Amino acid sequence: MGKIEWAMWANEQALAAGLILLTGGIVGVGGMFRGWEFAAYSIAAGVFVCLLEYPRGKKNKGTSVERTGQYCFTVCVKAFGPLTRNYYVRAFIHAAIAVPAGFMLATVLGCVCLGIASLIYLGAAISGEKWEPILPRTETRKAVGESIKQPPQNPPPRPPAEMRRKRAEDLEGAAYDNPIKVSTNDE
Amino acid sequence: MVLSFKSWFANEGGKHFVLILWLGANAWLFLRTFLTYSTGQQYYYLYKMLGLGLCISRASASVLNLNCSLVLLPMCRSLLTCLRGTHTLSSRGTRRLLDKSKTFHVACGIAICIFSVVHVSAHLVNVVNFSAFYSEDLPALNLARYLGEDPRMIILTTVPGITGVLLVVILFLMFTASSYCIRLSNYEIFWYTHNLFIVFYIILMVHMVGGALKYQTNVDTHPPGCLRPNQSSPELQGEELEPGNEERRCKEEARFHPHYPQTWMWVSGPLCLYCAERFYRYIRSSDPVTIVTVIRHPSEVIEVRMLKRDFKAHPGQYIVLNCPGVSSFENHPFTLTTCPTEEKETFGVHMRVVGDWTERFTELLLPKTGVELEILPMVQQRRYPKLYVDGPFGSSSQEVFNYEVSLCVAGGIGVTPFACVLHALLDGWKQFRLRRLYFVWVCRELQSFYWFSELLCALHHKLWQENRPDYLNLKLFVSQTEDLQSMSEEKYRPLSSRLSIGRPRWKLLFDEISNANRQKHVGVFCCGPKGISRTLHKLCNSGRYTGVTFEFNKESFS
Repeated sequence: MGKIEWAMWANEQALAAGLILLTGGIVGVGGMFRGWEFAAYSIAAGVFVCLLEYPRGKKNKGTSVERTGQYCFTVCVKAFGPLTRNYYVRAFIHAAIAVPAGFMLATVLGCVCLGIASLIYLGAAISGEKWEPILPRTETRKAVGESIKQPPQNPPPRPPAEMRRKRAEDLEGAAYDNPIKVSTNDE
Repeated sequence: MVLSFKSWFANEGGKHFVLILWLGANAWLFLRTFLTYSTGQQYYYLYKMLGLGLCISRASASVLNLNCSLVLLPMCRSLLTCLRGTHTLSSRGTRRLLDKSKTFHVACGIAICIFSVVHVSAHLVNVVNFSAFYSEDLPALNLARYLGEDPRMIILTTVPGITGVLLVVILFLMFTASSYCIRLSNYEIFWYTHNLFIVFYIILMVHMVGGALKYQTNVDTHPPGCLRPNQSSPELQGEELEPGNEERRCKEEARFHPHYPQTWMWVSGPLCLYCAERFYRYIRSSDPVTIVTVIRHPSEVIEVRMLKRDFKAHPGQYIVLNCPGVSSFENHPFTLTTCPTEEKETFGVHMRVVGDWTERFTELLLPKTGVELEILPMVQQRRYPKLYVDGPFGSSSQEVFNYEVSLCVAGGIGVTPFACVLHALLDGWKQFRLRRLYFVWVCRELQSFYWFSELLCALHHKLWQENRPDYLNLKLFVSQTEDLQSMSEEKYRPLSSRLSIGRPRWKLLFDEISNANRQKHVGVFCCGPKGISRTLHKLCNSGRYTGVTFEFNKESFS
């Protein structure tokens, strides 16, 4: 029922996988285990994946929830254009990044998790999803003159002042009944 | 300061007490297992080979056992509904703890994730040590086949290794699909990955098969660190053996035995309980309901009245609907707005049409002719889709009748649990403990009040006739202030005179309630947007109202 957006789940997985890669890499380098070069690589790879995946994409329908402080990351990721918009590219990048991390014990889990994320991104790409940046909507205030018709520039045509003044000899011809007694201008 | 502590304690004390108990149990288990492995005589040789990694991995494993068994218990919803309803938990404070069952489940889940990370890291170190410190003297103790075996081969060729990798993958899938964002937008991903728990538990129970870690069985005849017959003690080189040293000679070789898998003892009880509960719910909901009426209300709300055999519910409970004609596997919760009574057996829900499931459901129920009201006698029933109902399940709103004074705050469609309460006051009056009800309903549009305008006016009239005018204090608010709005019908005069434009001022409301109800416990029930419930929660904890304790209860589904 309803279209599932796989990319959002893949995004969460990739972010978690990036953190796992980073942790595994730090442990590998810290203990100077065998193959610590792979651990150093996976620290860099983990940071890159986290930076790439931190900004959430816009949902197709409904409101999108941003991660805190993601605006600057959104701008950076958006700058790469189709490379980051297309999920096929992302799936391929994640798969490629994951492979070297599989050669060291401390980072092998990060490799597996990033591989799963890459598969889900592939699924998302096949369903036709795209990454849209969440940008703050610029409120366009409608200019007042456009929403209502142009106000008139001239007053309505009225007879000249002498005609408008009430004539004492022609009180019945006056256009309206004044509640207050009218006196002529002579008084 | 003392006043605010009393309010805080009344509202938050129970939850924090349970939290401290749980943390204490985890800490105690961790420390006890850690010390067993680091100082226990039967683990002496294993500890020498593996070091600290052994203790940390086993300690985190015992914490994982505890949390994997506890995590299932808050999800046995029918059991919790029973506990709440039959007043077996007689104290209101204990019943309030049941409201936080989902939070406890989340806490146990997070603990499982954190300790899994610790456990996996420690075992990776263990595997490296098994390979690097392969022991020729004690071949039975080794997991590696030879010195320097590749640790990755050790993982992939032993049962604990493979099951461990599978468990981590499943946990990773479940954890990443459980974030708030995914639950809000793609609930199906969350639901289907979370149902992998059964695979997780089955694999967990066979995780220890294979016996990677062994303990020494003959500690009495072979005290650890004793000297072998052809060995001499380093400090007594060439000296006569003293009589005391005889005890330090080994009488026999050390013998090792793998651990008996313990996880099933922790986990099988709650797992069976949860599976029994799911089965019971499946059986209970397999009887389809008969839809009696469908009414379309303004502001995109429809009301569905149904009949089901042997269905009993209390005000404030909710049901879960499943309509195979819309989607076979989706289940959606809705609060009951009318409960079945002795006179009238039908029960009903009000649902707001927002989202694809409700839209499709409405299409199946009502034609698009724009007919306002459609009530057909049961004989001439149109072909309604088949509908299954699971429930009822308990929620915090059931406690409205158990306070002397209650404040119910509803935002928009959140009025549904309180509508059921009002129906119970109107139709099925019993000797409730409730003496006064403050009902605040905030809506965006005026049209929304017509959902329950008849009910509110009827109850108001009934209470006036019975000379209890102060029982129900009604305040309606329309938050959108653009147009001048009022309910012009004469029969809705009690409502239009209690209608205000603009958002409610909560501090003034609380002042009014506390002035009129001194020395009482007031139950505050909120079902609405997060902003309102946060404000109310803060006010309840603030303790500015001398003599009156406001106890906060929140209802939410997400």
